[in-house]
Amino acid sequence: MSKVVRSVKNVTKGYTNAQVKVRNATSNDPWGPVGSDMAEIAQLTFADTATFYEIMDILDKRLNDKGKNWRHVLKSLKVLDYCLHEGSELVVTWARKNIYIIKTLREFQHIDEDGRDVGQNIRVSAKELTALIMDEERLRSERRDRKSWKSRVSGIDEH
Amino acid sequence: GPTRNVDMTKQEGELAINIKKATNTDETAPKRKHVRACIVYTWDHKSSLSFWAGMKVQPILADEVQTFKALITVHKVLQEGHPVALKEAQANVGWLESLRRGAGHGEGVRGYGKLIEEYVFFLRAKLAFHRQHQEFNGTFEYEEYISLKSINDPNEGYETITDLMTLQDQIDNFQKLIFAHIPHTAHSECRISALVPLVQESYGIYKFITSMLRAMHTTLGDDDALAPLRERYNMQHYRLVKFYYECGQLRYLTSLITVPRLPQDPPGLLAEDDERPGL
Repeated sequence: MSKVVRSVKNVTKGYTNAQVKVRNATSNDPWGPVGSDMAEIAQLTFADTATFYEIMDILDKRLNDKGKNWRHVLKSLKVLDYCLHEGSELVVTWARKNIYIIKTLREFQHIDEDGRDVGQNIRVSAKELTALIMDEERLRSERRDRKSWKSRVSGIDEH
Repeated sequence: GPTRNVDMTKQEGELAINIKKATNTDETAPKRKHVRACIVYTWDHKSSLSFWAGMKVQPILADEVQTFKALITVHKVLQEGHPVALKEAQANVGWLESLRRGAGHGEGVRGYGKLIEEYVFFLRAKLAFHRQHQEFNGTFEYEEYISLKSINDPNEGYETITDLMTLQDQIDNFQKLIFAHIPHTAHSECRISALVPLVQESYGIYKFITSMLRAMHTTLGDDDALAPLRERYNMQHYRLVKFYYECGQLRYLTSLITVPRLPQDPPGLLAEDDERPGL
């Protein structure tokens, strides 16, 4: 979907500012999400409960998107990973409670028009994220210490 | 706590469509997105009743490929679905049995007859195990507390390990039958996809048995009493190495899942053994 169509949809479907940010960060564009966008979204999860749910609703929709929109899924895993580290404690609770959404992505499949297996990155990301969410101690220590995970989550350029 | 915001009424209708598409007549693997939707449904609703009801209205007995795909889908939902799915499945053993009878006793036009029969036999064994041992989840994901619980009562631990090993033998029989039925033509993916849950389940069981046997050796301090279990463990280890090796040769399978790598020889189980397998 083009940038123009996306911005029209943002207006006509009545998405909030926070939701527009998440939609843009997890779009079908072949680049991103960049660190600054993810940092901004993570900060917004602290704002208030309504904003938190607005953000999670979009991430949830994107995580359950169809194969053709595999970039939505992959980028949402990245944003969720980031928010698990830098976002509010509510993100951690949400991820634990709904872990089956991420767990079941470990077998995600999609072959694009060129015959490329574009599901591979999603399967790997879902596997890593599942392991992290289930390992309370590791998640706690990574939430305390930025350096240990920053290199993994940042530096996403092209998919 | 924070939950997902889903339209429960919309999901009900979508479930029926997903079941229908997962079990259609195409001789391919059940599409993951449809199977996943069935799994997610049981978590969102904390119930699998609509899943079973939806399965039963499908005309899956009319076609052996459909029957086989339905069994794969059921197996995946039992493994990855909400724990209640394992409990609610107990009331549907009769329906599973009817699929076996429906497949008849021959090979079937497309050669699924025996596979269907063996799949039903295996799923019944799996459900019987879970009825006896309700502390295990559908994929036997490792939980430390269960091995600790079982070693408090060595008799119970011995029995649980024996039951796990019996189930492991049944997986081994079934995978051999599947390998014997993989055609060297197109349409092999439908049969190969049934190996996916078997690889996952056998590995979960293997990890459990390894950890429970170690714990038993440490607490019991009677290596002789456990000798029969060690012997059986070693035999199963070698069979599993062979099974995973053969799975590793199937490109379609390795594109779907990572096949576990086991050491060539079984890891030590005795209390004084230092080597630990890379589990």
